[in-house]
Amino acid sequence: MAGLKTMAGAVVTAPLGWLARLLDPPLRLWQRVAGQNGMAAFFLAPTMAIFSIFVLLPLVLNIAYSMTSGPALFLTERSFVGGAQYARLLSCENHFDFSTCVEDQFWTALRNTALFTVLQVAALIVAATVTALILDRDLRARSFWRAAFFFPVLLSPVVVGLIWRWILDRDGVLNAGLDAVGLTPVNWLLERDWAFLSVIGVTIWAHLGFFALILLAGLQAIPRDLYEAAEMDGTPRARVFWRITLPLLMPNMLVVIVLALIRAVQVFDEAFVLTGGGPGTATLFLTQYIYEVGFASLLKNPGLAAAASILMGGVLIVLTLVQLGLARRNERRSKLK
Amino acid sequence: MGRIALHDIRKSFGAVDVLKGIDLTIEEGELAVFVGPSGCGKSTLLRMIAGLDRPTSGRIEINGTDVTARGAADRGLAMVFQSYALYPHMTVRANMAFGLENTRMSRAEIDSRISEAATLLEIGPLLARRPGQLSGGQRQRVAIGRAIVRRPTAFLLDEPLSNLDAELRVSMRAELSALHDRLGATMIHVTHDQVEAMTMADRIVVMRAGRVEQVDTPLNLYNRPANLFVAGFIGAPGMNLWPAEAAQGRVRIAGGPEVALALPDGPLTLGLRPQHLVLQGDGPLSLRVELVEALGAESVVHGALSGGTRVLAVLPGQPGLKRGDSIALGFDPGLVHAFGAAGQRL
Amino acid sequence: MTFLLKRRGGKGWHWTDIVTFLWLGAGLMVMFGPAVWLVLSSFKSPAGLAEFPPTLLPYQAQTAVVEGHDNPLPLFVVTDAAGSRTLAEVRRVGTVAQMVDPANPAEIVRVNIADREPVRSIGFAWENYLGPFERFDFLRFTMNSVFVTVTATLITLLSSSMAAFALSKYEFRGRSAVVVLILATLMIPLSVILVPLYSIVSAVGLMNTLWGVILPTVATPTGVFLLRQYMLTIPDELLEAARMDHASEWQIYWRIVLPLSAPALAVLAIFSVVWRWNDFLWPLIVLSRPEVYTLQVGLNAYAGELNVQWNYLLAMTVITMIPVVLVFVFLQRFITAGIAGTGLK
Repeated sequence: MAGLKTMAGAVVTAPLGWLARLLDPPLRLWQRVAGQNGMAAFFLAPTMAIFSIFVLLPLVLNIAYSMTSGPALFLTERSFVGGAQYARLLSCENHFDFSTCVEDQFWTALRNTALFTVLQVAALIVAATVTALILDRDLRARSFWRAAFFFPVLLSPVVVGLIWRWILDRDGVLNAGLDAVGLTPVNWLLERDWAFLSVIGVTIWAHLGFFALILLAGLQAIPRDLYEAAEMDGTPRARVFWRITLPLLMPNMLVVIVLALIRAVQVFDEAFVLTGGGPGTATLFLTQYIYEVGFASLLKNPGLAAAASILMGGVLIVLTLVQLGLARRNERRSKLK
Repeated sequence: MGRIALHDIRKSFGAVDVLKGIDLTIEEGELAVFVGPSGCGKSTLLRMIAGLDRPTSGRIEINGTDVTARGAADRGLAMVFQSYALYPHMTVRANMAFGLENTRMSRAEIDSRISEAATLLEIGPLLARRPGQLSGGQRQRVAIGRAIVRRPTAFLLDEPLSNLDAELRVSMRAELSALHDRLGATMIHVTHDQVEAMTMADRIVVMRAGRVEQVDTPLNLYNRPANLFVAGFIGAPGMNLWPAEAAQGRVRIAGGPEVALALPDGPLTLGLRPQHLVLQGDGPLSLRVELVEALGAESVVHGALSGGTRVLAVLPGQPGLKRGDSIALGFDPGLVHAFGAAGQRL
Repeated sequence: MTFLLKRRGGKGWHWTDIVTFLWLGAGLMVMFGPAVWLVLSSFKSPAGLAEFPPTLLPYQAQTAVVEGHDNPLPLFVVTDAAGSRTLAEVRRVGTVAQMVDPANPAEIVRVNIADREPVRSIGFAWENYLGPFERFDFLRFTMNSVFVTVTATLITLLSSSMAAFALSKYEFRGRSAVVVLILATLMIPLSVILVPLYSIVSAVGLMNTLWGVILPTVATPTGVFLLRQYMLTIPDELLEAARMDHASEWQIYWRIVLPLSAPALAVLAIFSVVWRWNDFLWPLIVLSRPEVYTLQVGLNAYAGELNVQWNYLLAMTVITMIPVVLVFVFLQRFITAGIAGTGLK
């Protein structure tokens, strides 16, 4: 078996090795010119090229796009309008009545996303924490349980959306179960409030394992003999949790909360497949709004989409900076110990 | 108050027997030290007494009450962990108050106990700091303070000095002994360092591979080791142990001379501490000096007898020996130890 | 149940033990149940799928050819005041089924669904799995997904390891600037740059191509940092010894650093395979011609049709799920270890 593996490995790496050997002479030349340290530029080149062309450049262009209007795709063919797109997005006669807004769908998407973010992250963090606490216990077959909760994380959002669309269908198995125990079935995906809750539930199902694992790592970093010292002190279990476990987990948890917020703001894939934004616009979120306005609807308006995405990006950048700051502070704190 | 009795304690982890039947009584107010090579089970035994682990079989009694089934919280003991186990996010004061807050003690009582302990251990100025801001020695005092305020039946200390540097270790040894005298409480101290055991203990429990080899005062262990292992373990540098054969009042040391000693016939091991060898012109042991470690107040001489048997002698002062010298050593026959074929004292 | 858990305190149940037991039990059902239900449902015929309440296992209904109807009709045993008889169902509206006696097809009998039992046996509708390949471009979608996943992963491994090598083993002016730059790209998710990215990819002529899907996704900051963390543990002396042996930097990278980084590369490879296989939003935007759809986009397209053929859709979903399940079964250790290690970057 091992022999087969090495043979297979050799077959795969042989052409790569040949290619690498081929590249050596020209790269030696480069090295002679650039110097040993200068080779760092060569090694960085592919990644930096991709980042520059496909991430940094679009970011800069996006700002430009958001200040243009017209149907054309290429920037050069568009007309400059300054902050008009932003004005259009944000202008409402009465900000509490979305029907008075020029872009009422933007405001609907904004409200839906905000509500979703708050509710989903709260429930997700509580569930993930409970799961992590349970997984931290002295269980047999611990890796099996860890894997079990992690399974949905690996599924593609399309698969997740379709599985739950099938289950939550009016004639699906969930309603069959409710019917069997005598409760009234619910049209989960076609009633506004239930559809919203369904999206929350499905996204929690799909991501619980990921966050539970990160929190579990944080729990396992707490030295065990602190718990033993507390046991010698006769500390009741609840007190151990509130006074020892939770405070020591808090730095880790703050980072996790921000990470969950960042993801929640960008919700799209599962929701899109599950409800497509419906019924009506009950589950229309910001990313889908950008997608529709920029690409999908018949009245494509790249400038408006760009403006909306810049606004969303602003919120995300703030959250990411908070997260990086928290992570750095945790690193520094743990070095002090 | 503070009498701990262990009856036939056994502990197995799966197929591995870690403790193989321990019978032991720690008297009230005693400072007992569990000592032995790593893996001998001394820390496991301490954890059994603390209640952090359960024995596979056997009984533990504290002050005559069977506590084997009781949890760690209900035994009235306090433990100082090897890593100190201080709550890093709480101040020193909060660390010490934590255990007391679990009982319904009044704030006033808690505060008074804390200041009492703080004065005793000289950590008063540290009460508002966090463990991360303290040195190793300070953290250790806080850990001890946390145990003291609970006024336990007995103190359990798991290698408390291992994490300190050598200098600090010496001074902390003295302090712990002084503390024991002050408090008068029973203390069980686990260490792998036999010097620590010798200097601090009222009685030493020597352990090896899950069994108790000998329990006695330090001097008795030094003067009358019960078997080969204890003889070699206690005392530094270790005792000279020579395989020998005895016949009719004369003992031939393997690879060496014959000496006149009244011992039962048969194979045995002779033991003689390096400090008990003296330079004696007509002494029975003639050896060639291979190495001299001159320490000033004494000299450690490594040599070999005619047959190659190695000898270690610690001679007082600076006898001016050097490599290649031939010298003769003698000894007081009363200081010789003899161990039978099974390792037991003869 | 002690084979599952060790209980706190040895004997007796604490409430945390009960909660643990319930949570784990519920968790097991909730996490795996939906996927299991998907697989079971994918083996049902369209009739089986239309049933309410649905059966647990897939059944093949026994059918009969009835005059006046093109397709064979499912048979039921109807029990009413007149006794039991076997009727064929024409259609169901709510709780009332319209049924006919095969021998007398003209007369329609209305039967409450509670009064009838289907005549059937357990049977797996394997044609659900063959259909997508025959009738739709499912094979093409699969090949496209495989191509994207494999190519993107290879490029990611190469470029990320090269960048990680540069950042971990070289000192140069501007190194911190590069690190900050890469961190910055972490802050810029796809949804924020959709429009200009689309125009760039279009300008380069990669619209509606698989390379247009691959290239923007190839550089991952997470991958670079993951590998960099690992490469920092490779002793510099190894590289210095190689340089004294006149090895070029490229050779050092290729023959020393890369092989030694194999464990971290494996973790990144697994992540990359899962990410690229599951990518949705970007391929959705770039690919508008069915020949170039990846599996995810194709699945979504079929799910969005007016008349969704659930039996084929479910089977296609199962097939799409299989590679990830394989990764899960064989390789999840690496993933969970990798997440615990990098989780927050």
